[in-house]
Amino acid sequence: MRALFSANHKSVGLRFLWLALFSVMLGMTLSLVMRAQLSQAGGVYANADRYAAITLLHGSLMVFFVLTAAPQCGFGYFLVPLQIGAREMALPLLSGLSFWMSAASLVAISISILLTPANGSLLWLLGVTCFCAAMILASLNMAVTVIELRAKGMTLPRLPITVWAWFVTAILSLLIFSVLVASSVLLLCDRLAGTQFFGLTGILITATGIWQRWFWFFAQAEVYVAMLPCFGIVTHLLATYSRKPLWSERIAVLALCAVGLFGFCIWGEHMFASGLNPYTPLVFSMLASSLGVPALLLVICWLGTLWNAKTRLTTAMLFALGFVSLFLSGGLSGIFLAKREFAGGSTGDAFVTGHFHLVMGVAATFAILAALFFWFPKMFGRRLNETLGKIHFWLTFCGVYMLFMAMHWIGLFERSFPPGTVVRVHGLSGVVGVATIATVSAQLLFFANFFWSLTRGESAGARNPWRSTTLEWFVPSPPPSENFQGGVPVVFRGAYELGVPLAGEDFVPQHLAPEQVAKLL
Amino acid sequence: MPGTSVLDDIELIIEDIGGGGKPPASRNGGDSGGGGSRVPGSSSTRKYAIAIALAMVAILIFFMAMVAAFLVLRRTSTNWIAFHVPVLLWFNTVVLLASSGTLEVARKRQAVSDEKGFKRFWTVTTILGIVFVVGQVIAWRDLVAQGIHGSASLAVAFFYVFTVAHAVHLFGGICALLYVGFRKFRHSEVTRVAAAEVTSYYWHFMDGLWVFLFVLLYLGK
Repeated sequence: MRALFSANHKSVGLRFLWLALFSVMLGMTLSLVMRAQLSQAGGVYANADRYAAITLLHGSLMVFFVLTAAPQCGFGYFLVPLQIGAREMALPLLSGLSFWMSAASLVAISISILLTPANGSLLWLLGVTCFCAAMILASLNMAVTVIELRAKGMTLPRLPITVWAWFVTAILSLLIFSVLVASSVLLLCDRLAGTQFFGLTGILITATGIWQRWFWFFAQAEVYVAMLPCFGIVTHLLATYSRKPLWSERIAVLALCAVGLFGFCIWGEHMFASGLNPYTPLVFSMLASSLGVPALLLVICWLGTLWNAKTRLTTAMLFALGFVSLFLSGGLSGIFLAKREFAGGSTGDAFVTGHFHLVMGVAATFAILAALFFWFPKMFGRRLNETLGKIHFWLTFCGVYMLFMAMHWIGLFERSFPPGTVVRVHGLSGVVGVATIATVSAQLLFFANFFWSLTRGESAGARNPWRSTTLEWFVPSPPPSENFQGGVPVVFRGAYELGVPLAGEDFVPQHLAPEQVAKLL
Repeated sequence: MPGTSVLDDIELIIEDIGGGGKPPASRNGGDSGGGGSRVPGSSSTRKYAIAIALAMVAILIFFMAMVAAFLVLRRTSTNWIAFHVPVLLWFNTVVLLASSGTLEVARKRQAVSDEKGFKRFWTVTTILGIVFVVGQVIAWRDLVAQGIHGSASLAVAFFYVFTVAHAVHLFGGICALLYVGFRKFRHSEVTRVAAAEVTSYYWHFMDGLWVFLFVLLYLGK
């Protein structure tokens, strides 16, 4: 009970992960309902309104509570103080507050589907506003922690790339969620006080529902809020399991910062399709395409790290590699969408659905799973079962490719007909349906593994099962409440001194002083 | 997977005073996150100063997003009827500006360890802040009594949104003033001086923001 209300960074982080787990289960169930609806001509399960509400709930649960909250707040809260050598977050009160506001928002958003459309949408909006405020508090807390509470010797170049990613994301989310709150306040005024900000004479003059306008206004930057921590996690894991220093670490860090910067500038991109007068479509289109540059740099760093490496193919590494693969294929289809003519009038079709699920949803989920397999021993003192994990990985990996590639094809196929033609692609729709069921069932394997390992899993054994260099692996698992007994550690080197032979090992931990290294040599 | 090794047994070198990312020696170089001029132990004050600075950035963006909408709609919307800001707002503005002045006087007193003078001027600041918010409430009530609602025109709607949003943020500032004024800082990690300093940043920011919004509403009518 005390753990439930504690503002300790580790328990807040774990609570965020539990929240994400609950949302993922609910969101996945909803996606099954949606698929079932789509597989029947005319839809038998729900009318159009109900179907739209289910889609909205699926999207908000997955985007907000899984993709945004899990990598940034779940793993971020748990790991940032441990990795930078601090005892607690800078502002523990905000840690607790941000969690409870997120939880309240989850309740509001989930309940909203049960109400009438008018009340439901109002409650949904309140829930989203509350979530945005929570994320602003969380990112404020995160940014201050990284700026101010780094251990002695933990200079910026020595920060693990994960911390960099969480930091850049914190700054980015501070900016975009503030804008998000501003527009939701205006929208709330429209709903509650009868103002006309979004009305017929207001900001966005379109015939579509407020949801779509609202969503695209921020969704693009939100993608980067979700993706950046995943980049950090995957980069860290690739280096650790390749047993090689991260290839051109500085460039990787700069690329992360650039992704954050472009991510903030790019929001106009999706307005091509949603009806806001695109002031400068060319600029946005160029920005959208130029995002490819830092993304490409990151990919080069990953490949450089993997080059000639003796990789350890653990489940966590498989998921990290899966992320790279999904990100590449998703990114390729994204190049088409950065073209204005192609994106215009195309929201909601299967190509776009396939694209953003592949690059955002599934890729980010892979990174979250990779992180979970990697840090599970640290969090719970036990390990997830590797064999089950690998089976789960391969089933999921094949499943999502079947599912979302087929969706891309359906989208392309539909585009080859004049707009307005109703096309039903029976064969491919069948593939999508089967792949959905297979992928979702494969997740049951994961849930079984997760809950079984939580209580019965193999004990973590050695403190540092993955032979990692960062500080969190040199405290007991799970870490004690103040992380480092009696103070904070001193750091002497960067996070990626891997592949260096020392005392029968091939890495140098960050906290090893030069004299200690000399003694061991 | 290798088992326990000698590396696992090497304990972390633990430092008693924490924080800041300062390199242990000059040879480690690099950018140390601005650690150069830092006094050991002042980390907790800096922590709050940074937090309030970031919060101000977030608040600024929140308002600027709405200001952008204001400027665009002023030119494009057909539902924009000119609206004169209530005269009472001039009085409120003067009150708020005066509160920034008294706040600085209070801090000056604090700097020369005149605890009584500090308390007096700090209380005056708090009262001026409360007077401002009460003045805003009266202005809204007058408008509502005249039948001027947010649904009438976008200009009016923006007036309400800006003033209410500002008042809500200023209310946070009043809470901070009350907290610093009444709390006994005996066993806390921050001193009253530090708390007063951080509060003053926020208060002046709210003051400046109000002047900006007032000018915007006045000229943008």
